[in-house]
Amino acid sequence: MIDLNATLIAQIINFLLLVALLTKFAYKPLMKALADRQAKIADSLNTAEQERAEAAKLKLEYQQQLLEARTQAQAIVDKAMRLAEQTKEEILEEARSENARLLKTAQEEIAREREYALTQLRTEVVALSMAAASKIIGQNMDTASNAKLVADFIEQLDEQKVGGLPC
Amino acid sequence: MEHGGGGHEIGVHKLAHLAGFTLNIDTLYMTWLTMAIVLVIAFLATRSLSIVPGGWQNMLEMAVTALLEQIENTMGPRGAKLAPLIITLFLFLLIANWLGLIPGFTSPTADLNTTLGLALMVILMVHVLGAVNKGLFNYLKHFFQPYAPFVIINIIEELAKPITLSFRLFGNILAGEVLIIILGLLVPYFVPTLWLGFSVFVGIIQAFIFTMLSMSYLANSVKNDHH
Repeated sequence: MIDLNATLIAQIINFLLLVALLTKFAYKPLMKALADRQAKIADSLNTAEQERAEAAKLKLEYQQQLLEARTQAQAIVDKAMRLAEQTKEEILEEARSENARLLKTAQEEIAREREYALTQLRTEVVALSMAAASKIIGQNMDTASNAKLVADFIEQLDEQKVGGLPC
Repeated sequence: MEHGGGGHEIGVHKLAHLAGFTLNIDTLYMTWLTMAIVLVIAFLATRSLSIVPGGWQNMLEMAVTALLEQIENTMGPRGAKLAPLIITLFLFLLIANWLGLIPGFTSPTADLNTTLGLALMVILMVHVLGAVNKGLFNYLKHFFQPYAPFVIINIIEELAKPITLSFRLFGNILAGEVLIIILGLLVPYFVPTLWLGFSVFVGIIQAFIFTMLSMSYLANSVKNDHH
């Protein structure tokens, strides 16, 4: 049962042959595949980490830009409102001054017209007085008839509405 | 070439005589068959290596990475050079142990020539690597520690290593094959089937033990001494 012979040597040679064959055809390619995989996994993880960091950076950037845009928009709106306010003030001011100017012009016109009317009236009154006076003198009546005459004249004046201007 | 013996008898080998050497030709046939199976598995597993493993590649990778981890743990980084040897040892012994479970075949490891051959090879490597690694003088010196008389115990220990290593495997596998036949004679079919299932387990365990012990013997000579 336990007989040792040259088989022992043959088995060692067989085994070493198997070691050599396996090392060449299986072990080395397998180790290479394992190393490749390890490298690929490490690479993938690295890339993922990088991309994540980049995404975070981009997000921050976008947020900043958004904030900036919002601030800008607000600034634009504020500016527009301020401008509108200013324009409104300006228009109002202009209107006010125009109004004042017109008023002033009208008042001046009125004053001038009045002056003119007064002058006119005065002239007319003088003329009328002269006419009345000449009539009175012409008739040479008593005081009572004189008074009546003047009153009639005045009455007549009112009826005729000489000049038609307010005095 | 001349074949001796006849019929299937346990422990009796067919002999071949070649150039003055006597060879157990049946053991050699089974060894070559084992080698062929291991190579076929390796071929299937590495035929189309891909980044994403599948099928055979997955299986072999699992075994190889588990063994590599063990090698790393017991031998340290310098064990990497011995990794192909250790992995081959495990795969060869596993297939060899299982081969005998197929009716009509015998395990190469049921022949003491195989197990003792492998054990002697391992022990020879242990001593050679130890001598190369630590220097011949330092290596020889450590047999005389802690005191000179310990050399006797140390030498017995060194002699016991290959003997225990080889006989453990040989005994387990041979006993397994003997039991299958004997149980088959006593209670056909049922009990031998149970024993067959158990022998699959024994095959793994014995291959693992032989590999682990070889690894730890080799570790001592590969590692740097710290005492």
